[in-house]
Amino acid sequence: MPKTPILKVKDLRKVYDGKPAVDGISFEVEKGEIFGILGPNGAGKTTTLEMIETLREIDGGKATVDGIDVATRPNDIKQIIGIQPQTPAFQDKQKLSEIIEMFAAAYGEKVDAKEFLDDVQLGEKANSFAEQLSGGQRQRLSIAAALVHNPKVFFLDEPTTGLDPQARRNLWELIEEVRDRGVTVILTTHYMEEAEQLCDRVAIMDSGKIIALDTPKKLVKQLLSRGFKKEQVVEQANLEDVFIDLTGKGLRGES
Amino acid sequence: MNFRRQMYTVVVFTKLSTRRFFRDRLAQFFSILFPLIFLFVFGSFSSGNNNVSFKVALLDQSKTPFANQFVHQLESKKSSFQVQKDITTMDQAKKKMSKSQIDGIIILPASFGAVQQGQHYPTGKLQLLYNQSSSGTGETMTSVLQGIFNQINNKLTGTQPPFTVDGRTLNEKSLSAFDYTFSGLLGFSIIGLGIFGPVNVFPELKKQGILRRLHTTPLRTWQYFLATMFSQAITGIVSIIIQFAVAIKVFHLKIDGNYLEILIFTVFSIFLILGLGLAIGGWAKNERQAAPLSNIVVFPMLFLSGTFFPRYLMPEWLQSVTNYLPLTPVIDGLRLLTTEGKHLIDLGPQIGLMAIWFLVIYTIAFRVFRWE
Repeated sequence: MPKTPILKVKDLRKVYDGKPAVDGISFEVEKGEIFGILGPNGAGKTTTLEMIETLREIDGGKATVDGIDVATRPNDIKQIIGIQPQTPAFQDKQKLSEIIEMFAAAYGEKVDAKEFLDDVQLGEKANSFAEQLSGGQRQRLSIAAALVHNPKVFFLDEPTTGLDPQARRNLWELIEEVRDRGVTVILTTHYMEEAEQLCDRVAIMDSGKIIALDTPKKLVKQLLSRGFKKEQVVEQANLEDVFIDLTGKGLRGES
Repeated sequence: MNFRRQMYTVVVFTKLSTRRFFRDRLAQFFSILFPLIFLFVFGSFSSGNNNVSFKVALLDQSKTPFANQFVHQLESKKSSFQVQKDITTMDQAKKKMSKSQIDGIIILPASFGAVQQGQHYPTGKLQLLYNQSSSGTGETMTSVLQGIFNQINNKLTGTQPPFTVDGRTLNEKSLSAFDYTFSGLLGFSIIGLGIFGPVNVFPELKKQGILRRLHTTPLRTWQYFLATMFSQAITGIVSIIIQFAVAIKVFHLKIDGNYLEILIFTVFSIFLILGLGLAIGGWAKNERQAAPLSNIVVFPMLFLSGTFFPRYLMPEWLQSVTNYLPLTPVIDGLRLLTTEGKHLIDLGPQIGLMAIWFLVIYTIAFRVFRWE
């Protein structure tokens, strides 16, 4: 299968107060992938995303999305990317359908808001105000808002932080659906299990550098081949499996 | 994006933020009800100034029919005296007068209005007491009472006085205190809308990352500014129409001008003052930066541009400085258009000054605007 990278990052750098926050990283993301950037807090994940999203100035190196240079043509980049911020917030007293209408209008487009809300299971809430939504619902609304202009690449910054297990699983499904529509997904997370389940490939960042990049399976294999052994025998299930088994997969707080 | 699509963006943003305003009780309170409260408070102050009247205590020790009639006349609505009926004794009256709560004490002695022997009409001497500190008021009251007696005397004696004064009011184009107050209050509500609105809202939008999220879309600063200007103009017009209605109905404001011209000028004024709000709120990263800066900008204008008291009361040198504040031509222009029968074409100096400020303020606002 010939590889067609849609995102190319070469030697990308960001310096805050003389200290490198992102220290010359390079990677490529294939079209139609779900690509994860993993790392502890302060590793430079968000800064990396924000530079590619045109929100932060690039101090060194180069990033291109679909062949368009981020640094020189930020406005063209904005047309082809969708963004899910870490904590999506919306103005009060605004209906969900109006929020979709507003984001579409920001791209100069007119869309059927109901259709986009249906895609994220919020169709029934079209006339509710944003402040009445639960955390998971707000994340889904934010995803709908980020896709109104049919972006080629979709960035999500820690999309499941703070969500309960049901809402998290629901969001994973949603992200996979988005990928299935042909959108390339790039997300950051610090949940390993999320990366394992969802991502085709992951980059692990620490102190502004990428220290590993491969499919989750291969990374695990590499580790095992180095002679790593878990101290305990791996159980066939974990506590989260128990939790989901007991409480079911249905979303909560949706009534 | 071509221009039509960019303007479509502006139209949708304008529509949605206007709609949001009409759902937001708090915003409505501050932009509609709050100015109305000021209108009522300051309106009742200044509309009372038109008719001079004196608060007096009336101690009637006489029981004659003439005295009764005279008291009746003083208590009537047309009279220049407001008789405080709750004061019945000299002690009470003196106490009130020492606190300047009343202007004077009128005493009708027991013999007042009695018909003396050998005469065929009633006579009497009214006593008027007033504070030494307000002798001007006292003298005015004395001559007003003397005037009333002169009329009565002429009727009783049937003589025609050789010389009289014929005082008439000349109301053409003269401004009442309320005219000044009203244009000042309009200026105040434009400040409330244009400055306090964005200064409170923008830092909050930045804190929540809402502006930042918008910045990830192709939305441009000028589109966002334009949508804010349009929706503020719409809500501002609603607020100002309500104030006009109240001023006309309750305070008998007489409009001598063209409503369309007033409307155009008001919209321009809202745009201008909103520019200050956009500059401050757009620059500030948080409330702590926004609040002091907006106070520095707003307070001098509130006190020096003729919002709460007319600028003609200020010393000459201060007037010449305050002439150039952005709010001064707004308030002057509104007054000239509403009550002085002027037209936009007569407002060259005001509109010129506003245009210069408009360019300066919006240039700054665009330069300093931050999305986060």
